[in-house]
Amino acid sequence: MDKVTSAVRLPKDRSIRKGKWIGARVQRVEDPRFLTGSAKYVADLTLPRMVHAVFVRSPHAHAYIVSIDKSVLPGLGKTAFAFTGEDMREVPALIDVVTLETLLKTPQHSLALGKVRFAGEAVAIVAHADRYIAEDLAELLGQAIEYDILDPVPDVAAASKTDAALLHPDIGTNEVYRETETHGDIDGAFKAADQSFSLRFHHNRYEAAPMETRGVLANYERPDSQLTVWSSTQMPHFLGSIISGKLGLPAQRVRVIAPEVGGGFGQKMCTSPEEIVVPWVALQLGRPVRWIEDRREHLLSATHAKEQYVNLDVAVKNDGKILGIKGEFIGDGGGYSFNTESALIEPALAAKAFPGPYRLECYEETVAASLTNKSPAAAYRGVGWTASNAAREIVIDEIARGLDIDPADMRRMNMLDADELPYKSITGQIYDSGSYKESLDKALDAIDYPAFRAEQQRLRGEGRYTGVGISCYVEQTAWGSDSSAQAGTPLPSHDNSTVTMDPGGKVTIGTSVSGHGQGHETSLAQVAADGLGIDIADVRVLHGDTLTSPYGLGTYASRSAVIGGATVARAAADVREQVLRVAGKLFEASPEDLLIEDGIISVAGAPSLSKTMEEVAFAAYWDGGLRDEEPGENHQPLLSSTRFYDPPATYSNGCVVVLTEVDTDTGVVKLDRVVVVEDCGTVINPMIVDGQVHGAIMQGIGGALLEHLIYDADGQPLTTTYMDYLVPTAMGMPNMEVHHLETPSPFSIGGIKGMGEGGQVAAPAAVANAVADALAPFGARITHFPLSPDNVLRMIGKIA
Amino acid sequence: MKPAPFAYHVPNTIDEALAILGNDPDGSRLLAGGQSLVPMLNLRLANFDNLIDINHISGLDHIRIESDSLVIGALTRQYDVAHNDDVRNRLPVLSNALAHIAHTAISNRGTIVGSLCHADPAAELPAVLTAVGGELVVQSAAGTRTIRANDFFNSSFTTAINPNEVATEVRFDLAGGTSGWSFEEVARRHGDFALVGVVIQMTLEKNAISDVRIVVFGVAATPQRITDAEKRLIGQTLNDATLDQAVADVAAALSPPDDIHATAQYRRHVAGVLVRRGLLRALEDANSSA
Repeated sequence: MDKVTSAVRLPKDRSIRKGKWIGARVQRVEDPRFLTGSAKYVADLTLPRMVHAVFVRSPHAHAYIVSIDKSVLPGLGKTAFAFTGEDMREVPALIDVVTLETLLKTPQHSLALGKVRFAGEAVAIVAHADRYIAEDLAELLGQAIEYDILDPVPDVAAASKTDAALLHPDIGTNEVYRETETHGDIDGAFKAADQSFSLRFHHNRYEAAPMETRGVLANYERPDSQLTVWSSTQMPHFLGSIISGKLGLPAQRVRVIAPEVGGGFGQKMCTSPEEIVVPWVALQLGRPVRWIEDRREHLLSATHAKEQYVNLDVAVKNDGKILGIKGEFIGDGGGYSFNTESALIEPALAAKAFPGPYRLECYEETVAASLTNKSPAAAYRGVGWTASNAAREIVIDEIARGLDIDPADMRRMNMLDADELPYKSITGQIYDSGSYKESLDKALDAIDYPAFRAEQQRLRGEGRYTGVGISCYVEQTAWGSDSSAQAGTPLPSHDNSTVTMDPGGKVTIGTSVSGHGQGHETSLAQVAADGLGIDIADVRVLHGDTLTSPYGLGTYASRSAVIGGATVARAAADVREQVLRVAGKLFEASPEDLLIEDGIISVAGAPSLSKTMEEVAFAAYWDGGLRDEEPGENHQPLLSSTRFYDPPATYSNGCVVVLTEVDTDTGVVKLDRVVVVEDCGTVINPMIVDGQVHGAIMQGIGGALLEHLIYDADGQPLTTTYMDYLVPTAMGMPNMEVHHLETPSPFSIGGIKGMGEGGQVAAPAAVANAVADALAPFGARITHFPLSPDNVLRMIGKIA
Repeated sequence: MKPAPFAYHVPNTIDEALAILGNDPDGSRLLAGGQSLVPMLNLRLANFDNLIDINHISGLDHIRIESDSLVIGALTRQYDVAHNDDVRNRLPVLSNALAHIAHTAISNRGTIVGSLCHADPAAELPAVLTAVGGELVVQSAAGTRTIRANDFFNSSFTTAINPNEVATEVRFDLAGGTSGWSFEEVARRHGDFALVGVVIQMTLEKNAISDVRIVVFGVAATPQRITDAEKRLIGQTLNDATLDQAVADVAAALSPPDDIHATAQYRRHVAGVLVRRGLLRALEDANSSA
């Protein structure tokens, strides 16, 4: 809404030392262990006396648990162990911490207590030293549970019927939230409009489908009262805090380790109920307990994401100028308003981010969420924004077609110029900087847009239907206190890194951002290497272990380059100062006159006076004569520093363009080309940025064309294997090219912005718009994803 | 995802395998490539007391041309068949179909005969065998018999093989004369089972169709021959009228199922589309072979 000048609190020094490493296409140092299969995941870890845990899950969507007869298990209490919700009654339930007055809360017991609310909900856990036998026992116990079946609530429409069964009778409704907020004169906008356009859009339910499913190993060592939990998590410290609270253990007695994590994508944020149950069982048994989720179990019970009903009404002038938009965003929260960020995780974030790169001056946002008998909705890459961006970009194309305006021109007319930034959007998001029009132009140049349009016309004459789809995006990143507040779900944030140089002159970093495939061990080493003037081979990055990393919230929401990069840069700057202080004494020179290059410290103008980093570090540790006589705060002989950073929000941006050809006889959509222009400010490692784009785009394509978690009218899940839940494979990867623009953030340290999610935010609309453009001669409209061949033939009336 | 308990047998000869099978025909299952069976066991969708692994039996891994047949052994992997020059030259429709089946890791283990015996209604190989013709050679303690392709597929996942029999090889007929083929399918992703697929084999005499087999799969419990269309096309050439009639015959012959990947209407409509395309491609192929 407004040009922002001084709304953001900025740290004093936002500079970052940039040398030969930041910005270089450095090969990832972690890849050898991934590529040789020697990386260790939870399933690779075994401990003496370990038992294998298997969850018994509800076969019913909605039912009371009448009885569970554990006595059917041979060897119960000796070789076979089983626990139910009743056994865990005293363990506090999981609950979201969103502080909105009218949001209803639905605490979730880690094992269902009295009632099940989705097929796949954990009802009991069994454990045995042999995984095969544990599964036999789980089957046996499953048959010994009596349920009283209730009417199912399969979707949002069913949830809001007056006679609908209530998932949580104590709150008296299935709708946990509904609020409308108005910005600007929305009624005036519709009065002043020449026309209005509407879109009723159902965004599909899909999930992260990480290559590594969830998994937990817990070991309680009674003599030391020490609990160690290995979990495939994105947030080891936070998980440690939750486990400590729920199990009543002192925090210093809970250590959480995220070993290698084979993809998280937001699904492994916050707390899975299983991450409470498994440690609790370890406490009961005094034996290590390991649970490895299998794929069927994952599709049944890991959190889902992305499903929303988005209803838009747009007031426009005939020249394409958007005057105002009314948007209704309805989430399907599943069985519980989940602890990540409640059932509002999708619709609230969607509503706030909805304006995107456009100048929107009047806006009415309605946010609602209902609970249904499905696995709960939680975070997945591009939370809320995927559906929001899809609906907005689809309706822009529909308006352009309706007004006979080129869709690129329609966007340009409503788009913010670079010199309007920083800019506070109508929903209060402060866009720090960006290249909205530039990224659109660059993407269209890459495909030679006018030439494509001419060829499209020619091919239509031959009965071939090609299309171009444009999707522009703004991506909120750097998730700290500021970002989360601007996203609409305020949460405090706290993150740190420690940089330590040892007496050999080598560097170890402990960081609170927790990598799970992103390449932090490379990119953070690059930042430290430039900060200290050394080689990245001399830097080791530790993460994912609460014992070796300072406290912090881990990795999600495109935060780690900004936060990890800044905390490492600032701590490395301290260590540099410490090194130069020592070197200055060695050289009898002022630290300001010293240089560090490739690990050699020398006096400016006198290159013959030089020492290696190892010599200086050795002296710092062992030469007592160099120590300050009166050590002050930063005058320790130690070469180490821990620094904190809670960043201002930064906003990346970009544009995805997809070229498609649609077979109008079979409904098959072929993606000919995907062009991505991204702008994440200062790039630490372009190869890692490319990799993030490739993965996110493929997940977005999966959502647009393939992935869909389907339940039948009884609330039974129908997509429980990879034969039915279709993820894109390498075979389906289209030609993809990534172009970079670099507009550093004026707010963040080093100008870094995050960038993990834009591809998945923008790709679905680019695919959808390409398909709708190809099928424009048929008057096709996009109403729901995925764009399966069946859906496509319906869109063009070939089947009814 | 671990299977329920079963006894695992590893016979070294076909006679040993038949003896084990004979002890408990209904409670036993043969394991060749295991690419469908093992997932079903792990998902506990199938339970067998005895699993008889035939992978150590010699003499079951071969690809041979014998007069008018292409013969493939029960342990011959799909990958090897897909990359075999004799197959590519003499039965290209099979090579082509294999390119649509699964991914390399699966075809490295999966067998042709295993897929035929599994008889998934949406699988490609049963449709190819139905279209080109041929027979399964099966053996039991009582001896050896053959089952013609048209008599082989009884229903979904059900064949004419008796529980005490082992299929040892498949013999695909090799067409002579001026013949052509086509293979068309729509799947959600490369390598998936077909939403609907069509295999056509066509023979020409004096530029008219003298023989044609049209097989649609993914639309019923077994591969479906569209015999009305086949009969009507004999003696004809392809033109708008004969193609339209064939498509109408397809629609009339099929009552396909709905599932989460496509509706019945979709399958019926696209079966017609693919038959039209397939007939034209088979004709083109036949003409180019003339």
